[in-house]
Amino acid sequence: MIHLVWLSLLSQSYYTPQEAQEIFSRAGEAYYREDYAAAKQEYLKLLSHGFGGSDVLYNLGTACLNHGELGDAVLYLERARRLEGNSSDIEANLTIAKSRQLDQVLGSSEDPFVERLANAIRERAIGIAFVVAWGFGFLTLSLSRFFSRRPRLLGRTMAIAFFTLALANGGLLMIRAYVRRTHTDGVVTAKTVQAREFPQDAGKVSFEIHSGLKVRVLESSGKYLRLRLPNGLEGWAQAEGISII
Amino acid sequence: MKRTGSQLAGAFALCFFAAAPALADVEFYQSVDRDQVGLEDSFHLSIVASGAPEDAQIQFPSSSDFEVLSRSQSTQMSYQLGGSGASFNRTQKFVLVMRAKKVGTLILPSAVMTASGKTYRTEPLKITVKPGRVPGPIAGRPKRGAQIPDPFRGFPFPDEPVGSDELDPEESIPFRGPREEADVFLRASVDKQEVYAGDQVTLSLHILSRVDVSGVDSVTLPKLDGFWSEDIESPTQLSGEQKLINGVPYRAFLLKRLALFPVKPGALKISSAEADITTGFIFTGRRVHRLSNELTVQAKPLPPGAASGFSSSSIGKWKLSAEVSQAQVELGQPVTVKVSLEGRGNLKNIALPPLRGPAGLRIYDPTTTDKLTPSRGRIAGKRTQEYLVMPQQTGTFTFSALSLPYFDPQTERYEEATAEPVSLVVITGKGGAIAMGGDRSQLPSEPKNILPSGGVRPLRYHASFRGEQEPIWRAAFFLPSLVGPPALWLGLILIGLVRNRLNQQDEKSVRRRRTRAAHRRLARADALKASGTSQAFYAEVEKALREFLEVRLGVSVVGLTRTALSERLNRAGVSDEQRVRILQVLDACDQARFAPGGDGGQQDWVLEQVQTVMDCWKQKK
Repeated sequence: MIHLVWLSLLSQSYYTPQEAQEIFSRAGEAYYREDYAAAKQEYLKLLSHGFGGSDVLYNLGTACLNHGELGDAVLYLERARRLEGNSSDIEANLTIAKSRQLDQVLGSSEDPFVERLANAIRERAIGIAFVVAWGFGFLTLSLSRFFSRRPRLLGRTMAIAFFTLALANGGLLMIRAYVRRTHTDGVVTAKTVQAREFPQDAGKVSFEIHSGLKVRVLESSGKYLRLRLPNGLEGWAQAEGISII
Repeated sequence: MKRTGSQLAGAFALCFFAAAPALADVEFYQSVDRDQVGLEDSFHLSIVASGAPEDAQIQFPSSSDFEVLSRSQSTQMSYQLGGSGASFNRTQKFVLVMRAKKVGTLILPSAVMTASGKTYRTEPLKITVKPGRVPGPIAGRPKRGAQIPDPFRGFPFPDEPVGSDELDPEESIPFRGPREEADVFLRASVDKQEVYAGDQVTLSLHILSRVDVSGVDSVTLPKLDGFWSEDIESPTQLSGEQKLINGVPYRAFLLKRLALFPVKPGALKISSAEADITTGFIFTGRRVHRLSNELTVQAKPLPPGAASGFSSSSIGKWKLSAEVSQAQVELGQPVTVKVSLEGRGNLKNIALPPLRGPAGLRIYDPTTTDKLTPSRGRIAGKRTQEYLVMPQQTGTFTFSALSLPYFDPQTERYEEATAEPVSLVVITGKGGAIAMGGDRSQLPSEPKNILPSGGVRPLRYHASFRGEQEPIWRAAFFLPSLVGPPALWLGLILIGLVRNRLNQQDEKSVRRRRTRAAHRRLARADALKASGTSQAFYAEVEKALREFLEVRLGVSVVGLTRTALSERLNRAGVSDEQRVRILQVLDACDQARFAPGGDGGQQDWVLEQVQTVMDCWKQKK
């Protein structure tokens, strides 16, 4: 009996890949019926059961965008970009979402080159390219010892090429790792968030930000997060209105 | 409000009354509307002075057992022609709203009037006061107090139900208002006292009069805070109809009829309306100011279970439709799409669902027209929104289906009005014929199939599901992949070094090895001594000695003559005895190889000599 109950519970909480694909298709159909709320629920169901990935996140963000939920739209599209790197459809929908955002951050400059580079990197592809180039470099270097003079020269040349490739990919990977380690970004998902001068309810409100704005999270104190806007404006806001990307 | 009476008639009447010769007999009495009240109830004390002179002083009854909540006064003048000539009578009525302060049988003292040196007193009244509330007086029950006929008795509001054929449905609501005033009063009534927020309540404002009403002006409508109001009926002329209220015939004049829509739930008050009413005609006309009764409407909140997209203004019964002016249109030619909402409810406050279409159609802001058709006192009508649509692409386009969730207060259920999606086929324009030889640049530009960029990108159709992944540098394979190749390479280098080291042969070791080989050959020769042929024995001895000499001398001794060998040995510091011994052994070997037949003693000697040479050289070393 207990086994049956467990089996029943497991069957409810686990999707097979076919079931997940069906839910994905169903969500798409709801989207094209303009039932964006239903589409969003289906995508969230997939995420909650471990069927994530940039495709699901992109579709979820797009559904939220059409449903007018700007905060969630930017959040999920940014998460898709983080997984997949720069992709034309993600960038296009993010641009639309940001154009609908209420806040206009004056004096904000473009992200630093390192950050833009890190965001553009497809981490997995670069990582695998690095590992392969690194391994082949040492392999050709090792094999060249066993050859006579001319093949040995050829082997060493190939090893240098592999090492150059590995060095480039390794450098990109290090940039990516550095940015991930030192930068935490968030998106305002509440309708309005008040940024205070210090992390207490009694703190004077410096400014207000609204859903869909991407912010840098610098540190936390209790229920407050210290935020920095793209133009350098800083304030403490309650964490419940901010979702980390 | 347009005044329909005559000001001139009133002025004339006043002049006439001023010339009147005498006052009628004085009457002074008081009465209460009920003889049993509760501590929380109020009651009305009416004091009437008829025929009293203008300088009459009236003192109201004063008692610590009662408190006066409010006080009002009215005056009625009447003119009479009789055998004794013309006379007019002035009747003053004071109405005090009072409340008892304690329980028991209480006495309301007399009122006192002093006029022309005389003092008039009313009879004291006995009132029984009970705790809490006591139901109001029963209709038709005689009032306690003076038995003098009360001209205002049973007036102005009915105490018994009025026949349904006499009053409008909304007027059948029991009305509780001040029981005073005169033959004419203002009455406000609603058709329902409890409705859902957003549903219609009809407010009617009537003048009820037992005398002729010649005009009304300065009408102030009640404050309608918390209501959205729409005018249903506003007569421009007073038109009375007979009504029987409490057995008394009245003329009812409709002043205003309003549709009210509560905008929020809760108890919403409708304050008093006010009006100046002119009654009578030339000689008997007078102008009185009247206040209507206050009303309270209880607006109930809507029940739960509203569909998404429901707006609290969508209350009533609605039907939605959409139509396009033409099903097929040429590119660049506009069409009109009409979205209509028809039904009953607050039409002017309702929002139609917006028309949405595909990107190939440019939809302009709509124009809205309302057509109100109130029916039986209910607001109803049709709202139409006309959208101008300009096709910008060819193809078949379908506008989104429209739906409007609403709450029907009659069925008390949420319903949904829907309009089927309408389609539009856009075809390419026929284009004009090009005149031969004409200037093509002057031709009007034809509409183009516009394919704009931008817009929300479509969804992805296929998904590769992956959970949230760790960074690749934290993957299990990453560190071994990073460290493994250089470690392998270093290992190979190390192994090579060791091998080289092991394969390196120095002179000393070669000499040592060859010396050992020479000794092994000598041992093998010793073995051949017993079993092998003498040639093999001597060949092996010679090889052993030569190898030994090559190691010691550092040069090959094969091919050297005896003299050359002797000289080499001499240069190497070999003693003469040893040199002779070596040469003798070599000679013996040559002799045995080329002239076989030597005995075994010779072999022993040779072995002994060679062994001696090797040992001595080792000792010398």
